[in-house]
Amino acid sequence: MKATLRSAMAGAAAGAINGLFGAGGGMVLIPLLTKLCALEDRKAFATAISIILPLCMVSLFVYQRQGDLDLSGALPYLAGGLLGGTLGGKLYQKIQVIWLHRLLGLLILYGGGRMLLG
Amino acid sequence: MKILLAILAGLLCGVLSGFGIGGGTLLVLWLTLCAGLEQRAAQGVNLLFFLPTAASALVLHAKNRFISWKTTIPAALCGCVTAALGAWAAANMELGILRKLFGAFLIGIAILELRKKDSSTGSHETKQRKN
Repeated sequence: MKATLRSAMAGAAAGAINGLFGAGGGMVLIPLLTKLCALEDRKAFATAISIILPLCMVSLFVYQRQGDLDLSGALPYLAGGLLGGTLGGKLYQKIQVIWLHRLLGLLILYGGGRMLLG
Repeated sequence: MKILLAILAGLLCGVLSGFGIGGGTLLVLWLTLCAGLEQRAAQGVNLLFFLPTAASALVLHAKNRFISWKTTIPAALCGCVTAALGAWAAANMELGILRKLFGAFLIGIAILELRKKDSSTGSHETKQRKN
């Protein structure tokens, strides 16, 4: 029961971020799943995706109703994403992700700075 | 050319999303800073983007039995409610404020990412210390 409550809390945090920013739910969810819910790293990654998928659908529904969706503009990204997602899933068990985390951290730090100042 | 670049950006972010390390965050940055989309429009594209990417990655993760369904179900149920609230808040917020909030969020995330330790060696060290 306690585990269920902890999972629900982690999901609630991810949902709020997903709705507000349309991204980043996983970045919040993965540390919560490993620390709060005691999932091992690989399970946490996969479980986070399974949680965020329905959250995205709910957020999309609201964005759509508010007129913030541009389907045709998104299509090329979707095509690339479908391919990349499959590739990522296949490589998942073979790769050391720590360097990707570091690279991503630097990119996001730069982007976040530009957003705040710009 | 523009479309090719979009496909390539999607591909790269898709691989990262498949690993579960924030391809979406990077895509929103790309869309706003490089492709010139408005903050909310970029967020919408990213939400759309996540669906096929996540679905395809999920099939493989499920086959490999990496998903803890007893965690997923309560988290998703609760998260759907807060996602609706968050999306509603985003829709009713001034774009400049949303952008700055996102920037602050990104900096927090970046610090988390940069402080991350290599999980394999990290857990090994903890075990040794306990012994």
